[in-house]
Amino acid sequence: MAGKLGAAAATYSPSTGQRRKRPTIQTGSELARPDGRGLHQCRPAFLKTGAVNSASGSAYAEFGNTKVIVSVFGPRESKKAMMYSNAGRLNCNVSYTTFASPVRGQTPETKDLSSMLHKALEGAIILKSFPKTTVDVFALVLESGGSDLPVITSCASLALADAGIMLYDIVASVSVSCIGKNLLIDPVSEEEVHQDGALMITCMPSRNEVTQMTVTGEWSTTKINEAMQLCLDACSKLGKIMRSCLKEAASAPQD
Amino acid sequence: MVGLSLGEQTFIKGGIDQDLRTDGRKRLTYRPIFVETGIIPQASGSARVKLGATDVIASVKAELGKPNPSYPDKGKVSIYVDCSPTAEPSFEGRGGEELSTELSSALERCLLGGKSGAGAGIDLSSLCIVRGKVCWDLYIDGLVVSSDGNVLDALGAAIKAALSDTAIPKVQVSANAPSDEQPEVDVSDEEFLQFDTSGVPVIVTLTKVGGHYIVDATTEEESQMSSAVSVSINRLGRICGLTKRGGAGLHPTVILDMISAAKHVSEQLMNKLDSEIAAAEACDEMES
Amino acid sequence: MEFVNPEGLRLDGRRPMEMRQLRAEIGVVSKADGSAVFEMGNTKVIAAVYGPREVQNRSQQSNDQALVRCEYSMANFSTGDRMRKPKGDRRSTEISMVIRQTMEACILTHLMPRSQIDIFVQVLQADGGTRSACINAATLALADAGIPMTDIVTSCSAGFLNGTPLLDLNYVEDSAGGPDVTVGILPKLDKVTLLQMDSKLQMETFETVMQLATEGCKAVASYIREVLLENTKQLESRRGV
Repeated sequence: MAGKLGAAAATYSPSTGQRRKRPTIQTGSELARPDGRGLHQCRPAFLKTGAVNSASGSAYAEFGNTKVIVSVFGPRESKKAMMYSNAGRLNCNVSYTTFASPVRGQTPETKDLSSMLHKALEGAIILKSFPKTTVDVFALVLESGGSDLPVITSCASLALADAGIMLYDIVASVSVSCIGKNLLIDPVSEEEVHQDGALMITCMPSRNEVTQMTVTGEWSTTKINEAMQLCLDACSKLGKIMRSCLKEAASAPQD
Repeated sequence: MVGLSLGEQTFIKGGIDQDLRTDGRKRLTYRPIFVETGIIPQASGSARVKLGATDVIASVKAELGKPNPSYPDKGKVSIYVDCSPTAEPSFEGRGGEELSTELSSALERCLLGGKSGAGAGIDLSSLCIVRGKVCWDLYIDGLVVSSDGNVLDALGAAIKAALSDTAIPKVQVSANAPSDEQPEVDVSDEEFLQFDTSGVPVIVTLTKVGGHYIVDATTEEESQMSSAVSVSINRLGRICGLTKRGGAGLHPTVILDMISAAKHVSEQLMNKLDSEIAAAEACDEMES
Repeated sequence: MEFVNPEGLRLDGRRPMEMRQLRAEIGVVSKADGSAVFEMGNTKVIAAVYGPREVQNRSQQSNDQALVRCEYSMANFSTGDRMRKPKGDRRSTEISMVIRQTMEACILTHLMPRSQIDIFVQVLQADGGTRSACINAATLALADAGIPMTDIVTSCSAGFLNGTPLLDLNYVEDSAGGPDVTVGILPKLDKVTLLQMDSKLQMETFETVMQLATEGCKAVASYIREVLLENTKQLESRRGV
């Protein structure tokens, strides 16, 4: 899987403008995924740092049809009204463009994404390294194609690294959908609509620590185990790709 | 915000290390739980749950609505939580909003199951009246009146109690309506249907303080936490939802360990809660 | 619509000059400095008082008196039809202000300079007369918090429908569109601190309606005193005096 992802990241060309048909989902035992992937195969990932010039750090991520841009500002002085604090503050905001979803302006439950992103990143940032100041993370979802939050989280961690914010480790995030008896990694929107359950893990791959985890739907312990293993495995592979993306950006000649 | 001196902090942490908490409980013991049902006569069902000094109210209101086109044979359930400033002065104005949305989405995740409705505590297809036309919309409102830690578990328990108190009117659909129009429905004021709440899970929050984890943390204990995991578990011992709170990372094996501990605790909590709900309903019937 | 039937009974079976059942309980929110539940029939309100404490916003601090603040909020399930109103709409801002001014008038604010007292009222069920119930609950909570006051404030409303003055309107009577007079008094000092009226009323009838509301306030006052006395007795016995 990593090989495929890596190859896609190295030789990226914008996806051809094929008209998407509404694929149908069969919930039989032999499940064909709408984009022809295997059940445990992630979408090809494209990651790039430095997407926004005015920001301290930024990153662009494209996982299949999910396209996200994250810009990081700061550390800059906290608002006057805030009390003195030894540790720095993290402020996250997630928004959708009006054309992100098939129906204009109808964005999926965004109210809670900002705080979810905050919780996922909080544990990885060395907040003590910038007292009295605030780091702002603004994520904009250009196109929503499923597994939005994991993509936002991974992209935000890349942007933080690009901004030179001290991190314990980069944060990689992957979700798994459960449809019938099958576990599908990195689901697309069509699969998310039909899912019976979902599990999302955000982790720091080198430290092997989970910073955020959510589960919905009914799961048995063995299934959770299996899904967690699957996610953690994918996270570590995604982590490697993110690392190589950062290395590439650092070694590129400065202009 | 809780202001604790270094001494107090060490005292709390030391007590947890020795399995004897400041209020004399063990690490995996809940505070006494107190349930009262039918406290809001205007709602279809309501309950108040007290867990130590934490006091929450949940109400269920059923309204007729239209099913979501993607799921024509299912009703809709939505959960809203409001944090009253009576619980904490900092909830004044918009101050409680952040916590409110966090609690609402955590509860939705824990109680409503996946997007297809599988694994939901409430059988959504039982809320459908006419396929694709009319269904019941359940509005579940939670109100935090007083908070002394572990609000999520208390809200989960209150919603469970409120649902078992809920009576939904029987509905007659006039058979001769043309199929393309909105059918006429007749809502009965005498006959009511009760919910089957045996599938509604309970929420157990394990709070990690130092190297150990505890259930039902008070505000003081919560202020010392590094992270917390809320697991909702149904009667069959299956996991229906999970949320992690707090910034610090956890090792995957620790999470699995916490899940199995939560499973163990949930059995006792479920039995205790069921008997409390039954007692509250008996008491409610005696009065009326 | 007929609000008083020929037998002289109202929609809920009360006589025109009859109040709804009162019930009060002190100390319902254990973390607050003072708290109380007050019920008038189906109207149910919780009040919690925090303070006197340090002023949060320094610019509002005053050197010769305490700052009194109030917030009124309604639970989503408090009304018959479920509502999802944003916080701080015009109605609740107005009621917050009314409660604040009424309570400020009886608190001895000059005894607590450079401090702040927060009163939070939460409506659990609304069935008319929430304003009065909130003031009564706030009085009890302030007394429970041990905040010095010149006197307790009690409030009650009265209306005039079908040519009859009616005491303590419920929701149906309140929404009939007739005059609604809300009075708040300091019973010991025999002073009026709050007087509000919607719609119009003739001078002579106004006096009788207001008199009726004042009588209602006095009845509430005697009940509140009873509750406070009972509470004090309990505290006493707990201390073992």
